[in-house]
Amino acid sequence: MSAHDHAHGHDAHGYGPHHVTSTKTFVSVLLVLLFLTIITVAASRVDFGAANLLIAMLIASVKASLVIAIFMHVKWDTAINKLVFLSSFLFLSLLLIFTLSDQATRGDDDPLRTVKLPVDNGFVQPKPHAENH
Amino acid sequence: MSHDHGHSVVVPAPGPGFLPHTVAHHFDTPKQEFQAAKLGFWLFLATEILLFGGLFAAYFYFHQVYPETFKVGGEQLNWRLGAINTVVLLLSSWTMAMGVRSAQVSQKGKLLMYCALTVLGAVIFMCIKFVEYQAKFDHGLLPVFGGMHDALGQQLQWYTDHDGVMAGVPHGNLFFSIYFTMTAIHGLHVIIGAGLIVWIMFGAAKGRFHANYFLPVDLVGLYWHLVDLIWIFLFPLLYLVP
Repeated sequence: MSAHDHAHGHDAHGYGPHHVTSTKTFVSVLLVLLFLTIITVAASRVDFGAANLLIAMLIASVKASLVIAIFMHVKWDTAINKLVFLSSFLFLSLLLIFTLSDQATRGDDDPLRTVKLPVDNGFVQPKPHAENH
Repeated sequence: MSHDHGHSVVVPAPGPGFLPHTVAHHFDTPKQEFQAAKLGFWLFLATEILLFGGLFAAYFYFHQVYPETFKVGGEQLNWRLGAINTVVLLLSSWTMAMGVRSAQVSQKGKLLMYCALTVLGAVIFMCIKFVEYQAKFDHGLLPVFGGMHDALGQQLQWYTDHDGVMAGVPHGNLFFSIYFTMTAIHGLHVIIGAGLIVWIMFGAAKGRFHANYFLPVDLVGLYWHLVDLIWIFLFPLLYLVP
């Protein structure tokens, strides 16, 4: 299109480098995002068992990556800005991994007795004898 | 205004119809101003990811414990309306990206048009959300956490589920607590984002934003894309419960 497309900024003036993305790129990304939305709905109609959640999150992650990289210009942003924003996903993954692995192993009783308690069976921790007077 | 340096750095307007930009006095160069503001905004967006991250953690946790509750809860939502809202937000994200681009190449008219289209997307999104919320209120699905009472000891009747749609599963209000918390905080971001875009339009009409200075447009654009980003995950998790 115009001479501005994919021109790497107007840094010659010293007003800061910036990347102007072409309309074509933005339109392509939009079309892919809309297509992936259809895929999301279609995939939810098929029973993959436990994998359904994984598949839905995988498609959403691809969509999110496109929005972050192209619409939010992260692809052309400075290293420090990339680090700051993308590190939030690292910390988020820590939160999710520890919370969900904790939940998944809840109810695992003393391994020597190899008893596994269901999560929601109304189990109440017995009080120590000292309090039962 | 402080004139510590004896003069202010002024970014010239690229042509008639545009205003020059005076760099804030605590910055030496326009580039420094741009990069400082961008870094600060990315930090803010990182905290936004973590704000919603806590809610997503709650979702995944309870989904793991009560998968049936989430399955039946998700079926109460209208996935078609959710899908329409997904498309509306994706389109508005595109118009916002095009708006930032228009500012970068000093196209004032196009910047105004794309901003207006983005706000239109926000309005359509909130209207559809209103219709959806209304239906949930009518079914008595507005959640209250376990047996809350008002000042007179009267039990609050927000979550009645009087049509019994959640009767077969445990803790039906759990799904709707998460649904309303996540979508309401997201909706608040939609409203704030739309307000910021209207503010950008006022500045754009005066010619404040152009190839030499488009920082506020850029930052508001990032905020709007974040709203889209969150919804990309909310849609499959709430409307198409896996």
